[in-house]
Order: sequence, then C-alpha cells, then structure tokens
Amino acid sequence: MKPSMKNKLGGLVSVAAMAASLAACSSHPTQATTCSLPEGPNLERALSAARFDLETGCEHEFDAYFQRLLTIAEGDPKKENKASFSDFLLWTNEAGLLSKRQARETYNRYFGVKYVSLISDYSVCQQTCPNQSAVMRDMSRELGDKEQGLLRVSADRLNYTRASNLYQETELVLQATCEACGPVE
Amino acid sequence: MKTAMTRDWIATQRFLGQLLSGCLLLPVVAAASPTAPTIKLFPTTVLEEIKHTGNVAAEMETGLQAVIGQLDEQQKLYLDSKCEGNEGDPGCERIARQLGKSYLEMLNVMADRLPEMETAVNATSSSLEKRIRMELGQKKTSWTLQELLIGEESGSSVASSQPSLRGRSGMRLSDRFSQYYQLVARSGGKTNSSLAVIASDIYLDMQETSSLIARTREEISRATLMEQLNQSFGTITPEMQEVVAGVKAILFGEEQDVMPMAIPPAGPADSAYESALQM
Repeated sequence: MKPSMKNKLGGLVSVAAMAASLAACSSHPTQATTCSLPEGPNLERALSAARFDLETGCEHEFDAYFQRLLTIAEGDPKKENKASFSDFLLWTNEAGLLSKRQARETYNRYFGVKYVSLISDYSVCQQTCPNQSAVMRDMSRELGDKEQGLLRVSADRLNYTRASNLYQETELVLQATCEACGPVE
Repeated sequence: MKTAMTRDWIATQRFLGQLLSGCLLLPVVAAASPTAPTIKLFPTTVLEEIKHTGNVAAEMETGLQAVIGQLDEQQKLYLDSKCEGNEGDPGCERIARQLGKSYLEMLNVMADRLPEMETAVNATSSSLEKRIRMELGQKKTSWTLQELLIGEESGSSVASSQPSLRGRSGMRLSDRFSQYYQLVARSGGKTNSSLAVIASDIYLDMQETSSLIARTREEISRATLMEQLNQSFGTITPEMQEVVAGVKAILFGEEQDVMPMAIPPAGPADSAYESALQM
C-alpha cells in the first residue's frame, strides 16, 4: 500500500472512531457527574436527591444510597418514615432498579415483623433443618436490620419487640422441630 | 470422693429440677387442650402420657420429701449436739451413721423410681417428637411456621395475647416452670402459636430429662457404694450436707423466685401505616 493511501485510511479510521464515540455519548441519558451520597438531615430532600442519582447512572450504588437514607432517617425517627421508604422502594421498582420481589423483601427486611430470611418453598424438615444454623445467622442479621428500620428509623418499639420475640420463638421451635425431624440424610 | 459426690449432686439437683417441672407442666397441657387447635400437637394420647409422667414424678417427689425431712431432723440433731469438730465422740458417730443411712435411703428411693420415670419420660418424648415432626416439620415451611408463631392477625392487638418468651439458654429450670405456670394462669385460651412454643419447650425439656435420668442412674450406684464405705467410718461429709440442703431447696421451693415475664411494652396500636409492600 502506498504511504499516501495509508495516511488517508488512517485519517478515516480516526474520524470514524470519533464519530462513533460522539454518537455513543448522545445516546446515553444525562449522567450524574459523580455518585455522591445525599447529605443533610432532611429525609425528603435526601430521597429526592437519591432518586435523581439512581436514575442517572448511579444504580450500581443502590445499597450505599439506601443505607445513607436510613442513616439520615435515624436522625429524626418517626412512624411516617416507613411510608417514605415504602414510596421510595415502590419507585425503585417502577424505575426498574429493583424487581417487585426485591423491593418487597427489602422493605420487609427493615420495616416488617416477619423474617424474609425464612422464605422457603419446602418443608421445615427438608429445607430448613439441613441449614438450621445458617438460617438462624441470617435471621440474626435481619433482626439487626429490623432494629435499624423499626426502632431507630420508625420509632416503632412495639413491632420491633414483636420481631424480637418472633426470633426467639422461631429459634426454640426450630430447635425442637429439627431435633424431631432427625438427622439430615 | 469429694469430686464424685459433688458431680453426683449436680446431676441429682438437675434431675430433681426436671422432676418438679414434670408436675408443674400438667396444668399447662390441661389448659391448652380445650382450644381445639387446628394443629394437633397435643392429642389425647400425648396428654395422657404427660399426665402419667407427672404422676410418676409426683410419687417420686413425695417419697423424697419424707426422707429429706428425716435428713433435716438428723442434721439438726448433729449440729445441736455440737458434733462438728467432735467426730470421735461415740454419740456423734451414731448420729452421723444414721444420717448416712437416710442419705442412702434417699439414693435408693431415686434408684427405685427412676426406671419408671425414665420409661414415662421417653414415651412422652417419643409421642411429642412424632407430633412435632408431622405438624411442624413436615406440614410447614419455615415461612408458614413463622406465620403460625406470629399469629394469624397481622395487627398489633395480638401482641398482648401472645405468650412471651422464654429463652432456654442460661435459665434455671425452676424459672422456666414458673414462667409456664404464669403463662397458663394469665391466659385463658391458647393459640396455635403458643401451643407450638409450649410443645417445643416440653419436648426439649423431656429430651434433657431423659439424658439426665440416664446419667443420674449411672451415678447413683457409685454414690451408694461410696456412702456404704462412709458408713464404716461414721462421718458426714460436707458434700452430704450440701446434697441435703440442695435437695431441700429444690423440693420445698425455698429459693423460688418469680421470673419476670418479658412482655412486649404497652404501646399504641400500630394501625397508622401499612405499606403496599407489606408481606
């Protein structure tokens, strides 16, 4: 190939690459410049900021955003905070960030009395007893999340106590039931 | 020998605690039965077995109370006669031998009653095991099990009627029985959720009792031999005094404290908000 032809071809490739890169930029929605977690004590403002960031490219930081929102809400614990988080999680589902199931499980992990760690399709003997200690560990972690969601965010002492009692009763009943089910085969 | 007797006493003490529980558990079951639960954890056969176990335990308790009364009197006589530090005295030696004889009698009562007790406990444990396996282990998933435990209502009104717990770890047996008693005394009807918890607790107690009986039976023959040897020296050991004091405390309830119930705090009904995401 002649040198002049080679130069021309090289130029064309560069132009094409630049054009492709520009086209790629214009096809994406406006991106948040940085994924900065919301600041300040106002939960509604923080939720609004989080929504903006999460739908403009920060969805991979969802967990960090959610934790920050909980921390902000801890500054002003009240029962209404439950509704704010419920609305936020419903929005995450509508925005395609979380599936309906994920949204429901996240809400209940923090603000429900029942334990999502106990979701299962098969019998206690078949599915739960072979993993009894892992199940109890998961429940224990979830109780910690409920302490944050129910007690420190929502000031809902009554339901937190119910969740705590449920943990203890489940531990006792599972211990007896798994003993009765016999050794895992 | 001191170590062996102390170990024996620990096993005996734990067993006696279990024994008393057997008697106190009866009203729990009796009160639970008329509620016609949808889960059948306490059919008539199980109730009968528990009742029988309670009767056997009561008989054993009665037998022990008599001999313990005797031991108490003899120990008092020993102390009143200023026999401590005066072991060489022929009168004191005689009292000590009588004391040792009563101690042997106590061990014999236990040895006589234990096999029947063991059979009754094992039968109850086995029946409960079958019911729990079927009703909770095979018919329930862990999700439906927690729904059973939390009660059918999702509102907070149920919280006040739920039995409060009652963890097993680190709790004295007598405290646990006191809790059972209070549970029955303050609550007329039993829900399925509380029946599941009560059944679990009784079952685990029975398992523990069964293993304690087995260990106690092993220890009794050895303790009996030791005491027969003591008889030839006519002394009462500090361990023997401890055993008698401990058995008295358990049987006559000298140290019965009422365990405070960890009931949920009273608060307003949580009817203000229910999320669309609520499970």
